[in-house]
Amino acid sequence: MWRSLALAIALAVSAAVIPAPAQEVAIPQTPGWELIMRCVICHSVEIAVQQRFGPQGWSDTLDRMIAYGAPIPPEDKRVLMAYLLRHYRDPAGR
Amino acid sequence: MSRKTEPVLSRRGFLISTGAVLATTALRPAAEAQAPLATPAPVPGKEKLIVRSSRPVNLEARLADLTDYHTPESVFFVRNNYDTAPIDPAQWSLKLEGEVDNPVVLRLDDLRKLPMIAQDVTLECAGNGRSFHQPRASGIQWEHGAVGTQRFTGVRLADVLALAKLRPSARHVAFDGNDKAPTPQAPDFIRSVPRWKAEEGHTMLAWEMGGKPIPHLHGGPVRAIVPGFVGSASIKWLERIMALPDEFNGFYMKSNYTAPRVDNDKEIYSLESLEVKSVIVSPAEGAKLPAGRVTAWGWAWSGEGNLTGIDVSADGGKTWTAGKFTGDWHRYSWRKWEHAWDAAAGSHTIMARATDSLGRVQPTSRAFNRLGYRWNVIHAVKVDVA
Repeated sequence: MWRSLALAIALAVSAAVIPAPAQEVAIPQTPGWELIMRCVICHSVEIAVQQRFGPQGWSDTLDRMIAYGAPIPPEDKRVLMAYLLRHYRDPAGR
Repeated sequence: MSRKTEPVLSRRGFLISTGAVLATTALRPAAEAQAPLATPAPVPGKEKLIVRSSRPVNLEARLADLTDYHTPESVFFVRNNYDTAPIDPAQWSLKLEGEVDNPVVLRLDDLRKLPMIAQDVTLECAGNGRSFHQPRASGIQWEHGAVGTQRFTGVRLADVLALAKLRPSARHVAFDGNDKAPTPQAPDFIRSVPRWKAEEGHTMLAWEMGGKPIPHLHGGPVRAIVPGFVGSASIKWLERIMALPDEFNGFYMKSNYTAPRVDNDKEIYSLESLEVKSVIVSPAEGAKLPAGRVTAWGWAWSGEGNLTGIDVSADGGKTWTAGKFTGDWHRYSWRKWEHAWDAAAGSHTIMARATDSLGRVQPTSRAFNRLGYRWNVIHAVKVDVA
């Protein structure tokens, strides 16, 4: 179900986007990195990796994205949280 | 206050920004593999801008490129909450509805029958400067360059609203553009302004920018221009206007584009006027200058206020001297300022501080707010004079 929802969203988004040549943004390939693919269904990866939060901030952000339809079931949210906090944490952040 | 540019996009920038993480993992036998993710490249004609996000498109200028009173399209920032496909002006229409006695649908030819106006307007993203907040605030990490000035041509919104005959119950006017959220559950990008601002003589619907049809990325065929208010009030790809009894009740009014009140931080309000603000374009951060006459210059602007002064310090804020405004300006445009003095050898911190007719002065600090708005802290650049 998650996969078909993701596909439907990806198709809906690609229809509205102007084609442009690709460039690359690198993210660390540690456990959980593949879950970033769920984020980039709707927005490019820079939106995610320029944020820095603490646990509460990342959890709230993911909950908002899940409410918007991001295909991230609870077990994946836990893995994605660990990944984001490993690489994109603000020690002083909420 | 000033911070080195760290391109979020490039691999090098990425490594710099995650330096702390890499340091802690340096004992591991192999460096972490990096997975490259393809993302759309900068838009043709916008290559000089820093890509903050490619989908939706968010691009900002480098201060060094903001040299002209009218910001060229090539370095005019782009802030999209959501993207949309280009719209054929011949197919474009605008619906006016809500608290009106005469709901109407207008086309571009209908707008062209109204008295035309043209004015220079400075647009600034509400989150411009967000990256300078500590800790990091949520949102696009703009530095100084989500601001620009252009000449917009169109009609007064008041004249358009008159066609729909707003009822006395209409106290707010909401704008809805053609941009679409990527999922049905995500909130539509709709924002409203109070009726007094909608009917104020400078608020307009524009279809030209710099004498040419407004480019798609800047909201053409027709966009709202709400001078003096945060950029997000000036809805792009406008296609629906709603007269409402209250402020629009949606995410982009009640949650995003809000900040705590200064006198009561338990209460949040939807952002309206821009802050009083100035930036130093020249000299640039880290510039090496010969001893003698130095001229600093930059831009200042002030939302709903009128600029009343620009003070410049060449000693890190210990002493201030009045600078002067030069060149063209308009009620809601930025003004060029400059200040010249004889600089002795050594390291100097140059600062600029604008003041306005509302009694506002650029501050030396700004309380953290979660969404990183209202950044108008005095800009400082360090230079070496030899």
